[in-house]
Amino acid sequence: MNISTLTLSELGHRLKKAGMFLQTGTFITHLKTSIPSVAEGIRLLYADYPLVEHLDFADFHVSLTYPRNLRRWLKPQIQFLFDGKPPFKPLPADQAFPMLEWGLNWCVSSHANHYLIIHAAVIEKGGYAAVLPAPPGSGKSTLCAALVNRGWRLLSDELALIHIGDGRIVPLPRPISLKNQSIDIIQSYEPDAVISRKISDTMKGTVAHMKPPANSIIRANETAHAGWVIFPKYQSSVPAQLKKLSRSRAFIRIADNAFNYSLLGIKGFETLTGLVDASQCYDFTYSSLENAIETFSALEPPASSK
Amino acid sequence: MKWQIISSDQALYFHSWDNECVVYNSLSGDTHLLNLTASQILLKLQQSPTEAITLAKLVPPTDQSESHAEHELQIEHLLAELNALNLIEKCQSTINYNPPSCR
Repeated sequence: MNISTLTLSELGHRLKKAGMFLQTGTFITHLKTSIPSVAEGIRLLYADYPLVEHLDFADFHVSLTYPRNLRRWLKPQIQFLFDGKPPFKPLPADQAFPMLEWGLNWCVSSHANHYLIIHAAVIEKGGYAAVLPAPPGSGKSTLCAALVNRGWRLLSDELALIHIGDGRIVPLPRPISLKNQSIDIIQSYEPDAVISRKISDTMKGTVAHMKPPANSIIRANETAHAGWVIFPKYQSSVPAQLKKLSRSRAFIRIADNAFNYSLLGIKGFETLTGLVDASQCYDFTYSSLENAIETFSALEPPASSK
Repeated sequence: MKWQIISSDQALYFHSWDNECVVYNSLSGDTHLLNLTASQILLKLQQSPTEAITLAKLVPPTDQSESHAEHELQIEHLLAELNALNLIEKCQSTINYNPPSCR
């Protein structure tokens, strides 16, 4: 059974009363809220996730509520609570679902220190994962959304989880965050893509989320070998081009994009050297998604990783 | 004057690819990217404390047209930079005391 078996009314009731367990990759989140737009977002984007009943344990206990202040009557706000406490300032109520997504990212990036966590999209084909680390604005999520609509498996749009013991890449498939022009670009690139309604005037501009492919959810327990580390950058009017990057330089750039590299000390260094050792490293510039997909299709698997 | 790796057991961790090397300093938590010459200097100093003049003989110049004097100067500059990054230190040599590693 998955979440799509619940009607919106049943889902809203569960979220409001006892809360519900949301299983995303290896993490279980207990979520409670009475905010209708959150129930609608979960019904739309988490439809293919397993419906988890009555667990004794959750990694994260999260709720979204209306803060008890005067704004409640004028310009309503919502707050994200983790273990009953707000790690962030409240946001306009219209941003409830994006705030849930950002909050869930924060839960993992701030607590899951049994992984090396890199700010990167991760996709997989043929057992090998391509890690795409990049700062905001580089086109990482747009490229990721296009690739998972053309046969690549989504491991994560935002957080690459590298297992510290064996260096395997652990999936965390969740809705893909799209911003500004990327929303229309992906909707036109893949008309069947399910995308939530646009929310404007957020701290990231206009945002929407794309539903992850069902197959990526079904395979959420299948880890992958590191295959490639590719730093994407969207540039207008350039051909799609992979440029080989020295492993040492790739190492430093990945470390710059990691949430907990410093915190992990020598384990972080060893895990990252393992990732870079196993991967071919490239800079990638592109302007056309079709050309980018062709370039990724032609990637040769590393010879010695498996 | 001899130079040595910062004096703590297992403080530095190396990994090299092609002609470059990354070094993790577990005391500072910093990671550095080093070129071939700098990483060769560190590896020599890891074996034993060494003077700049000796290092200039042990570590070949990357530019073959470089004179020996220029190469020595380059080694001295690199030693100063590695020292500033807290990866190496001068051996403390006094009349009364020489740490075992510097004798």
